[in-house]
Amino acid sequence: MTDTTTSSRTAMIEVIKVSKSYPPNVTALADISVSIASGEIFFLIGRSGAGKTTLLKLLCNMERPSNGLIEVAGMNIHQVTGNKLAKLRQKVGVAYQDFRLLTDRTVAENIAISMEVSYKKPQIIRSRVRNLLAQLQLEDKHDILTGDLSRGEQQRVALARAVANSPTLILVDEPTGNLDATSTTQVMELLTRCSNSGATIVIATHDETLYRHSTHRVMKLHNGELASLTRGDEV
Amino acid sequence: MNFWFSVLRQTGRNLRQTWTTQFMTCLTVSLSVLIFSFFYLVYLNMLNAGDKVSDDLRLVVYLEEEPGPELQEQLRLKITQFDQVQEIKFISKAEAYSRFAEELGDNRDVLTDMPTDFLPASIEVTPLKSLRSLGQIKLFAEYLTTIPGSQKVQYGQKWVERFYYFIQLLSIVVLLSGFLLILTATFMVASTIRLTIFGRQEELELLKLVGATNNYIRTPFLLEGILLGLMGSLLGLASLYTLFQWTLRHFSGEGFLDLFTFTFFPPGIIFTIVILSIVLCTAGSYTSMQKFLRI
Repeated sequence: MTDTTTSSRTAMIEVIKVSKSYPPNVTALADISVSIASGEIFFLIGRSGAGKTTLLKLLCNMERPSNGLIEVAGMNIHQVTGNKLAKLRQKVGVAYQDFRLLTDRTVAENIAISMEVSYKKPQIIRSRVRNLLAQLQLEDKHDILTGDLSRGEQQRVALARAVANSPTLILVDEPTGNLDATSTTQVMELLTRCSNSGATIVIATHDETLYRHSTHRVMKLHNGELASLTRGDEV
Repeated sequence: MNFWFSVLRQTGRNLRQTWTTQFMTCLTVSLSVLIFSFFYLVYLNMLNAGDKVSDDLRLVVYLEEEPGPELQEQLRLKITQFDQVQEIKFISKAEAYSRFAEELGDNRDVLTDMPTDFLPASIEVTPLKSLRSLGQIKLFAEYLTTIPGSQKVQYGQKWVERFYYFIQLLSIVVLLSGFLLILTATFMVASTIRLTIFGRQEELELLKLVGATNNYIRTPFLLEGILLGLMGSLLGLASLYTLFQWTLRHFSGEGFLDLFTFTFFPPGIIFTIVILSIVLCTAGSYTSMQKFLRI
């Protein structure tokens, strides 16, 4: 029997009967429930407009659900405000589909931002930035403005920023959309290393090669509804 | 890296990115401080000069006849009926003549053919310090014209009146320039911070998403306000001090300005002006943040 439930590990994310509608009458998500364990790599798949990005936005509190409850690390994230919300966000790394890079800042400065807000020491920030750039084969881009990078490079910088602060939850939206096979492997290796360090990873993707031969759970969305929840090698 | 280190780095980065706007705002604030403190300095010096003038203030009552000892006593009583005075001095015709001759100095020859009693006898009344407002002096002068034998009362009325009106006018100018300072400091800084917020909207949004606290985002803007107030006021006061020293060097010596002792602001007033500018600029920054910073 296929095990598509969370393991005995504690749940990092609890999504309970969550719906999201936009005016005037667009349902982006309908009645979604899922539990994602701590340290798990979880894939969200589905066509464009299926609701993957909406679910990620709800998970990182960029948007509020119309109905339902979302708990991250045991907290209802939509009831957390002020400094508690800031602390929670420091523990959630997000690589956005549109990257959200500051194009007038260097690669190093963009990656450093997520660590600066949690007051990491400058030498730790410098070392972590160099280390991440090395893992993503971007060492030579350290002082380049992100506006001057290719889409693929920008995508990797956005991912580096998401994982830089060693968050316990990493949300990644289409991490390999602009990448070649080698870069895709580097990105997945980086995410796997983060997972091995205990981080929970949720990846929204169209790229079947990322999950097809894995045992990670894959949730398929269709028109905002849960279509299936299976293991990667069973999709 | 602690909070303040991060925030100071962030502030430095903001200032570097928007230095032209910040510099112009700083210049505007310093100009406002310069205008206000210039008039305030002139006002304070005029008040000091006014004190000096009122120290020398005497009312001279010219008499028809020279009073004898008994009449002098009666006149003294009559004068003190209005109010206590600092001093009453009777000047006889002969004394008036000798004073006049002394004032003429080498030209005293012109008095050769004049009788020694051609000048009227007078009473010099020095009012108390508490009786120094223009209105009170006027009332006292009117009263003195009613005492028996009084011919005329003189106290440099026109000059004193002009001086007091000048002080009043100056106080209005000080108030207006203070108002200008408030307007420029708050509105210019508010406008600069608003532009900075709009220019950095994308970054502020990102900072929020990566977990920056409200204080981490807001404090650099407040620090910018504080810095603008501090730098603007120091620059304005330094310019005023330079102008003050230049004026002293070029206009000291014989002349009108020699009548007064010009002094610069005492440290307490300098400190107050700096603090006031800082408070106003911070208030401007705070209002902009409240209005335009959505976090």
